Amino acid sequence: MMNSHHTPQRFFSRRELLNRVGGGMAGLAFAQMAAQAAPSSRTDPMAPRMPHFPGKVKNVISIFCYGGVSQMDTFDPKPMLEKRQGEVMTGKGDVVVSQGTPGGLMPSPWKFKKYGQCGMDVSDLFPHVGGCVDDIAFVRSMYAISNDHAPSLYQMNTGFLLPGYPSMGSWITYGLGSENENLPGFVVFSDHRGGPIGGAPNWGNGYMPAAYQGTQFRSTGDPIVDLNPPKDMPRERQRRWLDYLAKMNAEHLAKNPLDTELTARIASYELAFRMQLSATEAVDVAKESEETRRLYGLDEEPTQFFGRQALMAARLVERGVRFVQIFSGGGNFQESWDAHWDIVENHGTHSRETDKPLAGLIKDLKRRGLFDSTLIIWHGEFGRMPISQRMDGRDHNPLGFTVWLAGGGVKGGTVVGSTDEFGYKAEENKRSVNDLHATILHLLGFDHEKLTYPHLGRNMRLTDVSGNVIREMLA
Amino acid sequence: MRQSARFAFVIAIASACSGQGLDERAYDILKKNCIACHGAFKSSNLDLRTRETTIAGGERGEAIVPNYPERSRLYTLATHQLTPTMPPGKKLAEADLETLRLWIRAGAVWPASAAASGSKKDDDAEKKAAQKALEERIVTPEERAFWSFKQPVRPTVPGGAGANPVDAFLAAKWRELKLRPSVAADLRVQVRRVYLDLWGLPPTPEQVTEFVNDKRQDAWSRLVDRLLASPHYGERAGRHWLDLVRYADSGGFEYDSDRNSAWRYRDYVVNAFNSDKPYDRFIREQLAGDELAPNSGEAQIATGFLRHGPDHNVKNEMTRMDELDDIISATALTFQGLTLGCARCHNHKFDPIPQKDYYQIQSVFFSTKPKEFPLTDAETVAKNKAENTRIDNLVRPLRRRRGEIEKPARALILEEKLAKLPAYMGEAWRTPPEKRDEAQRLNARQIERAIEAIVEKDVLAKMTEGQKLDLTKVAAEMREIERQRPAPFASAMAITEEGAQALPSFFLHRGSPGNKGSEMTPGVFTVANWSRFEAPPPPAGATTSHRRLAFANWIASPENPLTARVMVNRLWQRHFGEGLVSTPNNFGRKGEPPTHPELLDWLATEFIGKGWSVKEMHRLMLNSSAYRMSSDDTEANRAIDLTNRYLWRMPRQRLDIETMRDGMLAAAGTLDRTVGGPAVLPYIDPVLFQGSSKRTWNGKEDSDPSTWRRSLYVFNKRSIRYPLFESFDQPDMMSSCARRNASITAPQALLMMNNAAIRIQAKQFAERLRREAGNDAGKQVDRAFELALARPPRESEKRESIEFVRRDDNALVDFCQGLFSLNEFAFMP
Repeated sequence: MMNSHHTPQRFFSRRELLNRVGGGMAGLAFAQMAAQAAPSSRTDPMAPRMPHFPGKVKNVISIFCYGGVSQMDTFDPKPMLEKRQGEVMTGKGDVVVSQGTPGGLMPSPWKFKKYGQCGMDVSDLFPHVGGCVDDIAFVRSMYAISNDHAPSLYQMNTGFLLPGYPSMGSWITYGLGSENENLPGFVVFSDHRGGPIGGAPNWGNGYMPAAYQGTQFRSTGDPIVDLNPPKDMPRERQRRWLDYLAKMNAEHLAKNPLDTELTARIASYELAFRMQLSATEAVDVAKESEETRRLYGLDEEPTQFFGRQALMAARLVERGVRFVQIFSGGGNFQESWDAHWDIVENHGTHSRETDKPLAGLIKDLKRRGLFDSTLIIWHGEFGRMPISQRMDGRDHNPLGFTVWLAGGGVKGGTVVGSTDEFGYKAEENKRSVNDLHATILHLLGFDHEKLTYPHLGRNMRLTDVSGNVIREMLA
Repeated sequence: MRQSARFAFVIAIASACSGQGLDERAYDILKKNCIACHGAFKSSNLDLRTRETTIAGGERGEAIVPNYPERSRLYTLATHQLTPTMPPGKKLAEADLETLRLWIRAGAVWPASAAASGSKKDDDAEKKAAQKALEERIVTPEERAFWSFKQPVRPTVPGGAGANPVDAFLAAKWRELKLRPSVAADLRVQVRRVYLDLWGLPPTPEQVTEFVNDKRQDAWSRLVDRLLASPHYGERAGRHWLDLVRYADSGGFEYDSDRNSAWRYRDYVVNAFNSDKPYDRFIREQLAGDELAPNSGEAQIATGFLRHGPDHNVKNEMTRMDELDDIISATALTFQGLTLGCARCHNHKFDPIPQKDYYQIQSVFFSTKPKEFPLTDAETVAKNKAENTRIDNLVRPLRRRRGEIEKPARALILEEKLAKLPAYMGEAWRTPPEKRDEAQRLNARQIERAIEAIVEKDVLAKMTEGQKLDLTKVAAEMREIERQRPAPFASAMAITEEGAQALPSFFLHRGSPGNKGSEMTPGVFTVANWSRFEAPPPPAGATTSHRRLAFANWIASPENPLTARVMVNRLWQRHFGEGLVSTPNNFGRKGEPPTHPELLDWLATEFIGKGWSVKEMHRLMLNSSAYRMSSDDTEANRAIDLTNRYLWRMPRQRLDIETMRDGMLAAAGTLDRTVGGPAVLPYIDPVLFQGSSKRTWNGKEDSDPSTWRRSLYVFNKRSIRYPLFESFDQPDMMSSCARRNASITAPQALLMMNNAAIRIQAKQFAERLRREAGNDAGKQVDRAFELALARPPRESEKRESIEFVRRDDNALVDFCQGLFSLNEFAFMP
């Protein structure tokens, strides 16, 4: 369960946790979680812990196509749009768009082909992903609540429409700890064009301790801001500095040898010192073979940037990082998947950047023997409209969209649910974001109703008060 | 055949077990458990009173598929196989579930006795009755007898007069538990403790010496008084209050717009603590300052409390309900220590807070709307407005002119685009407007929007040189006019209402605006309502309903059992690390009971008796012997009370990050101690906020002294957090935070080791040492310890440090940064 170089550290006694980590009740919850862990490591908030039952996977990679991907242009073909192109969409009640007025029905500018043994329909935007469909399960009947970016982003990442709640990565590191104490347990990569709308709360720890917040990684150079020492303090010098610090702290500690908070703080500096090397090594894609790098498209534009992030994600997961999230798309409008106009340019650009690396990631995880212990989730915050906006774009649509999952415990080549004839509303086997989260937690070995954290007198959950595991997509 | 034969047999047995038929028993179960909501009231649009309406189902689809229990939502929800589980909050008995299963299996036939109700009028009456029953939840006398809902009764101080009552109450518990209190801490420790506690700043060596050498009997209480009289006291107290009221300098969500006058509320809070504004007045101003003192800028600024919540991008009925929820949840948490938000969709699960309380309190705030209150005279405001109108009028024709110039280029681009799209688009566009059918009208409208949306860069590329020249001229003219726009006048983020007549608001069943119940009148927490709350009609000439003032008066009343207790507990927590009630924002049944209930009640009554003076409470606590105890452990005591809940020693508290940063700046001698004013933006690595055209952070360089203000003044942007603060558990300002987490993580250590801002302060610290102690390493080390830790180094420390500093020229900087990282530096001693 632990990496060989993991040295268990005694951070807190259980009872002291009641007071220290997050105050009384929160501490109690943590202590309960911690009590399930190996005796030697039950005291560190990031120590590896057992879930409720043996999980299929241990790590998650989330590909967040921020802005909202169009379902009918990617994985949910709608011939009816071709047939009724330009017509008014009827029989669907009031059509609510986020901006302006509704346009007429708009056919997809892309053709669909059948892929894999399962004969999955995939559009020309994702030919490489198409080659992997036998490993992928699609949910075509997803729906969200809000047609506004920020609330929907928050919902997809935290389960709540409002900011201030712990994100999925926080819940998972809270539940499972981390298998590599020399790396953060929860890592986030942004797009080269900017960050997502809503910013920090997307990877925030909400009311949980900061130990569970997402750490933003750079895609080039030092992976973490402030990872490496200032220029006038090279590593050997910093080592000497830490030794001095240790001596000074030791005198202070001698008066209160039982205070584990003081001990933990001393240990955190040594951990940080080791992290400098391990984090740099973890994202060093130069260590990979030429062939692997090509698999992710590192040798060419426009896949180079996302490909590098995907490869780094694989290396991080290999080293025990629990949750890695990569945002495809950043900033606003055409910089993200938010195709209010010219969807051909918009989705064309973003899919060209990500299609080959995504397929590369699936293939590479298999070669590394990590595919069965990793869950890849591909999603946006909502889908897009079957009708046109500004002539050649599509507006936001939370009523129906597609997500896909691949990896351990996932039944490849399956489709769950469907949308109506236009791809407007989820119709058969409708699935909520809570359902998706319940499924992810289930694959990790958690009963989503029992993974709780006390806050303001309530036992909070990632899935709030609902959520049903999507069993149809489980192997 | 065999299947159905067995089936019939099962039914026969089941029916034989009681006098009633299966259908009657099943319907009885529905009547008892489901029909209150899913009857005439039709919650989720589901009516279980007839077979037809049940099969037709509600918002979530059909409730029963006859003969198939496992496919019937009624059954799968009742058996808790799927969510939302039904009935809410409980599960039916196994026998009842089995009855339902058999009944559905048998085809779900309704008994004759359940004949559908008669006329529409009956149905309405039934619906009203059902609705009313759902809305009522009686609060019992037993519930009102819970310790925090009872009014505090002033207890006698144990041991009689003489001692500080705080000590007397604590000592009584020590005696009871056989604990031996710690000895008094070293005077230097005491002085560092009280400076960090009251100012959030370490004492200077001179301040330490002054106190240590003061041999007067009352030297300590003089020190406390001196610290309370300084404006830095208000800065420190203000920081604690801002955590509680979810204060931020931006609105959150997509745009996360800067709130450039939010800081006036922050300064209001600092001033309120500094002037020892009576706490009851402080409450009234924040909830109803506009009604209390309409002409006072200060009281208007105070109502900013109601506006600190995140600001939705999309405004609709649901997001308005969210905004109101933010306001009333923050109000209940901050002033009453109660989790009212839990009662939005149903009666509170743990506390005697009916859902109706929630909507009655909501009705107090329902009519509010934001207002920018001008903090200048009417003439200036009028002038400003007139000037803006004049400029708008000049700009408008220029904008039209610009449109004309760009028109041909935009048309060209459109033609190119249309050529690539399916033919229907072009056809719609070319069809004359009056001949377009409905679909063509929709499509043509999208084309018009598309033309407007073509970006400037593309338009320029299609322009002739002449057009470009014209455009440049117009743009220059517009710039010139815009330059004349007057600077905005100072204003406060304040609150007002639609008028003296409050808007009608309603009980929302399941919290859904689509499911309105009875109209609500203003109310309070029933369980804590000892003073018979009333909301009188607004006075003549009022512009608001004055409901908020009535509500604020109820909160700020000596009869309210929670207000004083909750506040003195917060003050206690601040000084002693943990509250007498360790769940400061939850005084309900799920919260922790007080460790010293008599002391809490004594303090609460004393607080009210002393005219709600916060400073008097500080004096009382700080002048106790308990506050001056050592924080060192004692084995014997640990065996009895491991976690020090009974305060046999002072706890070591990890400093919050603001105090740590301010302490570094203070030691380095760089701290700008200016009090108040607009917030400052220090440097954040762009990688960390990944800004966009809509969200930016224009931080100044770390070496810029204008950023060396106290941490209280660092701009608090909701979507872009200052990494040092975020990493060290500064709350995210989305909801009230009464007690910060205290994580210990490696990324925190990385910041302390490698962050440029901290390195710069270490360099400044080193320069200061050279300036003040010369080049002698021994003197430098002495001075450094005095500045950073308020004490001289011990001999071994001095030896080690001198050796370290002497390695090379730069080692003094490393040494200074080392002091910032010491455990001793990071804790209140």
